[in-house]
Amino acid sequence: MMSLAARSGAFSPYLQATNYAVAGPLKALIPGVVVKGEKVLVDTKKPFLTRESLNGQSPKTGPAVSVSINAKAAVRFAHTDIKVPDFSDYRRPELLDPNKSSQESSESRKTFSYLVTGATAVVGVYTAKTVATQFISSMSASADVLAMSKIEVKLGEIPEGKNMTFKWRGKPLFIRHRTEKEIATEEAVDMAVLRDPQHDKDRVAKPKWIIVIGVCTHLGCVPIANAGDYGGYYCPCHGSHYDASGRIRKGPAPLNLEVPYYEFPDEDTVIVG
Amino acid sequence: MPWLIEINASPTMGTSTAVTTRLCAAVQGDTPWVDLDLWLDRGVHNGGFQLIYKQEKMAASVCRVGSTVGRALAKARSPILLSLRRGQATVTYAQSLLGAPETRLTALDNGLRIASEETGHGTCTVGLWISCGSRYETEKNNGAGFFLEHMAFKGTKKHPQMALEHQVESMGAHLSAYTSREHTAYYMKTLAKDLPKAVALLSEVLQSNVLSEADIEQQRSVVLKELEEVEGSLQDVCLDLLHATAFQGTPLGHSVLGPSQNARTLSRQDLVDFISSHYKAPRMVLAAAGGVTHEELVGLAKQHFSGVSFEYEDDAVPVLSPCRFSGSEIRMRDDDMPLAHIAIAVEGASAASPDIVPLMVANSIIGSYDITFGGGKHLSSRLARLASEESLCHSFQAFHSSYSDTGLLGIYFVTDKHHIDDMMHWSQNAWMNLCTTVTESDIARAKNALKASLVGQLNGTTPICDDIGRHVLNYGRRIPLAEWDARINAVTPKMVRDICSKYIYDKCPAVSAVGPIEQLPDYNRMRSAMYWLRF
Repeated sequence: MMSLAARSGAFSPYLQATNYAVAGPLKALIPGVVVKGEKVLVDTKKPFLTRESLNGQSPKTGPAVSVSINAKAAVRFAHTDIKVPDFSDYRRPELLDPNKSSQESSESRKTFSYLVTGATAVVGVYTAKTVATQFISSMSASADVLAMSKIEVKLGEIPEGKNMTFKWRGKPLFIRHRTEKEIATEEAVDMAVLRDPQHDKDRVAKPKWIIVIGVCTHLGCVPIANAGDYGGYYCPCHGSHYDASGRIRKGPAPLNLEVPYYEFPDEDTVIVG
Repeated sequence: MPWLIEINASPTMGTSTAVTTRLCAAVQGDTPWVDLDLWLDRGVHNGGFQLIYKQEKMAASVCRVGSTVGRALAKARSPILLSLRRGQATVTYAQSLLGAPETRLTALDNGLRIASEETGHGTCTVGLWISCGSRYETEKNNGAGFFLEHMAFKGTKKHPQMALEHQVESMGAHLSAYTSREHTAYYMKTLAKDLPKAVALLSEVLQSNVLSEADIEQQRSVVLKELEEVEGSLQDVCLDLLHATAFQGTPLGHSVLGPSQNARTLSRQDLVDFISSHYKAPRMVLAAAGGVTHEELVGLAKQHFSGVSFEYEDDAVPVLSPCRFSGSEIRMRDDDMPLAHIAIAVEGASAASPDIVPLMVANSIIGSYDITFGGGKHLSSRLARLASEESLCHSFQAFHSSYSDTGLLGIYFVTDKHHIDDMMHWSQNAWMNLCTTVTESDIARAKNALKASLVGQLNGTTPICDDIGRHVLNYGRRIPLAEWDARINAVTPKMVRDICSKYIYDKCPAVSAVGPIEQLPDYNRMRSAMYWLRF
């Protein structure tokens, strides 16, 4: 039984129960049910789903419709009168024919659905990952900050044998244009005598240019260029001698001068950082 | 021969050692022989008992001490005792299979088949089973078969209604009919000696029904009243709606009763057309069971049914086209009903499919349950145990309705409005277990239950006759119990898992629900429960 809920329980103490009976198609109205003797005329051709038009479809030959204020309004149907709507507009093409078993197309339909779902899931996960990454990476260093972390130097301005100092990331950066003699000397140094063994070619990308950070690895003073016993740098604070490759040769410093990351976009420029 | 003298302080039949296992079982098995058989026939084999002291009084006192059942049976002269008097203490299952009389099948020239089983009863059931039902009806004449069933006993050309009733009553017979989606049956239960009269009356009812206009009008209101009354049988409503949604747009979706509109407008011509297009000899079986001889029955059939037509007008042979199954749902919510009736089903196997037996075994594993079952947490079906312990439902049953080319395999349950979600979850869980984890012990139990129910259902001439009629229509022959037994024995757990997976796993179900069903899960949730991610 389908029922339209028209409850007004809160008002029931204040309202009288009133029942209207609607005339059925074969039987005349029974006035005994009606408190007020009103007859309601039925227009059975009315297309709307009102209680009058629905009444004509009930199996009972008589009022199968009831309406009242403080009780339910109901229209009763036989369950065999319920028509399952035609869902052809929504069906897949393989299932449009009611005279064909649905088993044959079952595999292909499921495969299609699962493939589409799977692909959408993969795409969705990838999209979510991208969006999340974008939001989170927006919290990382901005372009101007990153730009400050690099320095571009024109190497043509540095004459041979000269060391130039630049301020980079708050620290002094030494760029030295080495002579052939210095290069040869440094490459010939035996590893065994070095406190921090590193071959020259491991410390330079182009042998002509030695680029090191000018911070003494002992206690952080700035070494003086073109000084010391080894033709490189000399730290005045505690007497550390570095060679032309920035390697520690004498003195208290434990490590060679740090070589930062740099690259040569062309012959004349270097970008450090 | 050694003597065992045993003095029992507490004679328990429980087994504690290998010896007592053998002995106690034997004692229990032999006790009825002593209780019942010796009572009637002193000379009969009395099992393993050896009387120390044979004496007339001794035997009598043993029997007096024997079971009250035995005494009650003896008083009632029950057939069980009568069969015992034949010298057999019990009929084993194997004997009941092989001892069943053969069903004999013949056909007339016009295609009408005659099948009968001579069981030796004093009564018989004889009837006509016709391959015709709501599936053969169209939207316009849906309900014609049902209407016709009402009209059947309103009188024939030879016997107007009163005369027909008088004939039937004077024989002390029952004349009834039923219509289902694919079969219609008209049958009569009567004394074996009245077989000729019964067949004559049946042939009249079928072939020379008057179908008077006045009766048709009068039956209209009866049919409408019946439509109204069937609304009270919510199980029928629920299962009808299940068919309506599962087979929507196809003839199998029609209800047998037909819509009320048709009940009001079917005319005599519609009924006559229906008869002439469906009541044809090749689609009919004259079945009988009881104290009937096949030869007599064939003779009667030749006499009365030779005239049944076998040709169709315009050669329009109605062919059953396949029916599309749609995974769908129908919800009839009414919160004023006390209980919700819910059925969930997938497309099942046809009646003649080889998968039928494993599916029947599978359904026996799930079984059925009613709140009045006393087993409680000791019931063998897992779903029933849960239903009992968690108060999940008032009743449930696993069902399989099979038709000629398709079927509905499902679970129907009745529960209150707060347990629908749980019951649906555990029902589908039971299905998943069938598809994945069913074990040897489940199968063994289910096989025994199934065999017992198959044998137990055939407990009278009418069930046997119905069985014969339906089998001949579905399979072309009667499948004997021995064959069912062999097919059931052949079922293995792997077979059940594979076949259940084929029909149940990851398939779209059809669901129908009536009553306070707010808690019924959304269809997508129920569809998701038809597979397990863990597999």
